[in-house]
Amino acid sequence: MNRVLTVARLQFVAWPLVFGWPWGILALSFLVNLALFGSIGDVDPAPVTGGLSSIYIVMLVACVTTITQDFPFIIGLGVSRRSFYLGNLLQFGAQAVAYAAVLYLLAVVEEATGGWGIELTFFGLPLLLVDNPVLRYLAFAIPFLLLGLLGIAIALVFKRWGVNGMLTLSAAAIVGFGGLGVLATWRGWWPAIGGWFADQSGGALLVGYPALLAVPLAAVSYLIIRRAAP
Amino acid sequence: MSPVVTVTDLTKRYRGVTALDRVSFSLTENRIYGLLGRNGAGKTTLMQILTAQNFATSGEVTVFGEQPYENERVLSRTSFIKESQTYPSMGVHHVLRAASLVHPGWDDEFAQQLTDDFRLPLRRNVRKLSRGMLSSLGIIIGLASRAPLTFFDEPYLGLDAVARQIFYDRLLADYTEHPRTVVLSTHLIDEVSELIEHVLLIDAGRLLLDAEAETLRGQVLTVSGPTAAVDEFTRTGAELHRTRLGGTARATVRGDFGPADHDRARTLGLMLEASSLQDTVVRLTTARTGSAPAGAEATSKEKFR
Amino acid sequence: MEDGRPIFLQIAELLENSILDGTLAEEEQVPSTNELAAFHRINPATAAKGVHKLVDDGTLYKKRGIGMFVSSGARAKLRGRRRDEFARQYVQPLLTEARKLGIDPAELKHMIDTWEEIR
Repeated sequence: MNRVLTVARLQFVAWPLVFGWPWGILALSFLVNLALFGSIGDVDPAPVTGGLSSIYIVMLVACVTTITQDFPFIIGLGVSRRSFYLGNLLQFGAQAVAYAAVLYLLAVVEEATGGWGIELTFFGLPLLLVDNPVLRYLAFAIPFLLLGLLGIAIALVFKRWGVNGMLTLSAAAIVGFGGLGVLATWRGWWPAIGGWFADQSGGALLVGYPALLAVPLAAVSYLIIRRAAP
Repeated sequence: MSPVVTVTDLTKRYRGVTALDRVSFSLTENRIYGLLGRNGAGKTTLMQILTAQNFATSGEVTVFGEQPYENERVLSRTSFIKESQTYPSMGVHHVLRAASLVHPGWDDEFAQQLTDDFRLPLRRNVRKLSRGMLSSLGIIIGLASRAPLTFFDEPYLGLDAVARQIFYDRLLADYTEHPRTVVLSTHLIDEVSELIEHVLLIDAGRLLLDAEAETLRGQVLTVSGPTAAVDEFTRTGAELHRTRLGGTARATVRGDFGPADHDRARTLGLMLEASSLQDTVVRLTTARTGSAPAGAEATSKEKFR
Repeated sequence: MEDGRPIFLQIAELLENSILDGTLAEEEQVPSTNELAAFHRINPATAAKGVHKLVDDGTLYKKRGIGMFVSSGARAKLRGRRRDEFARQYVQPLLTEARKLGIDPAELKHMIDTWEEIR
């Protein structure tokens, strides 16, 4: 456990980079939106920017680069794969928890200020209309975790099987999803699929299913890292 | 004394290539070992397996009496500095801080002093370091971590002679004050031959030699003179190499030579030259891989004693 | 250190030379193993082996907790041993070379006398 904490701490050795990128890009995106919609004046309906997704994408990219760069370094320093993995999980988990809390607060401020005075919805989640604060918080946090784990898994496939592994994974994803798409078109399933998504609550889409996906992803990543060489 | 490392019948095969072939040896506590051999001989693979960074195909490895794989008790007591080490994009001081967190025996003051000795810019990003500076960084981590088992795998790439001498001097001084087991894998045998206490020589995945450096010194001689006299002298040892020029021959022989043998060579009218550790290693390695005379294989595998 | 000969023998010889020429007096403390190792840039275990060789043959002795010292009478003993080795080490190769060049022993003796006078 001690070593797991050490690995988690290692990630914050260069903390300006760890925090600077996601929040810097989010801030930039927010300022651009603010300036843009502030200058346009009243828009109907009120704008929903999607700029919030930038911090999630940065987290995914950060996970991929962190794992690919840190794995040879930290294993090279003499840490077990288990400690490395759990330490990173802990560290990303802690980031997700903290970042979600900040985003939640910003969303509350946004509501209270009438969308920063110009009815801008930047931090508000479009799908989540429920007023359950726990669910709303989780809707910020769980997608962070899912994307983090996805990033870790992708990076580990690359570390263990190299470029060939990545190509195989991409090919499998394209064939799999493409095949399902073709199948859905051929059998005329799209309306049914659309209907299913529409029937799901925002909570299920942003919290429930991501959480269900995150667990097997975490398990698979652990199995991959066990036999990976730096 | 208890062995720090024991390796039994270790074999590692990559697709069709045997990197290590039934290697067995053990390392005793608090000694400096020279792990010698040509490029691709299997040295790095061996150290990677000992530090659980790579996986054995078959055979047994124990470090501090335990399996190293996923074993924090073992891993926290080892330090493996390799030439090919990569670092995340961060400052040199960040890398040192990270290393200090991982190694329980880390000495911050010593690391600081070494950084000054090697003139390493602390604030620079590791990605912007020159080849030599990267080597210095590895050496600083390896020395300041004071790990009871420390591996240096070709740690000097891009370092000039002055910086290498600083490395050898600091290593020797710190080893004297804080004895530990050190494995130095190197090509520059002449530079380290007086630092190492024991030699392990690997060639094409096989352990050719496992001997005290002092025992080896003076055991390989090159004699030259009239062919008949050379024949007479080489009868007392194992001949590793021979060249001829008319009636004159020059032969490299290995044996348990003492002052009496030197006298005998002189009486036979032979010129006698003792081989350095580097020459000895070169001769042993080529004797096996080249078209060695029958019997050379057997003698080169047998251990000195 | 010179190549091709065990280093511990060379360390022992260097200490012997210091005792012979008086650099190290009898009952004087000799440098520690670590000092020798650092000075000659050699492995401390090798330096220790060289010192122990001299302890074993009585040239040095150990004062517990302090270090190694030159035994009294060591100088005379070393000199005796070196004299015995002198013939083998210097006279024999001299004779071998002389024979090769056709210099007979009488001529050789004459040469030695001449050189001694020049000195």
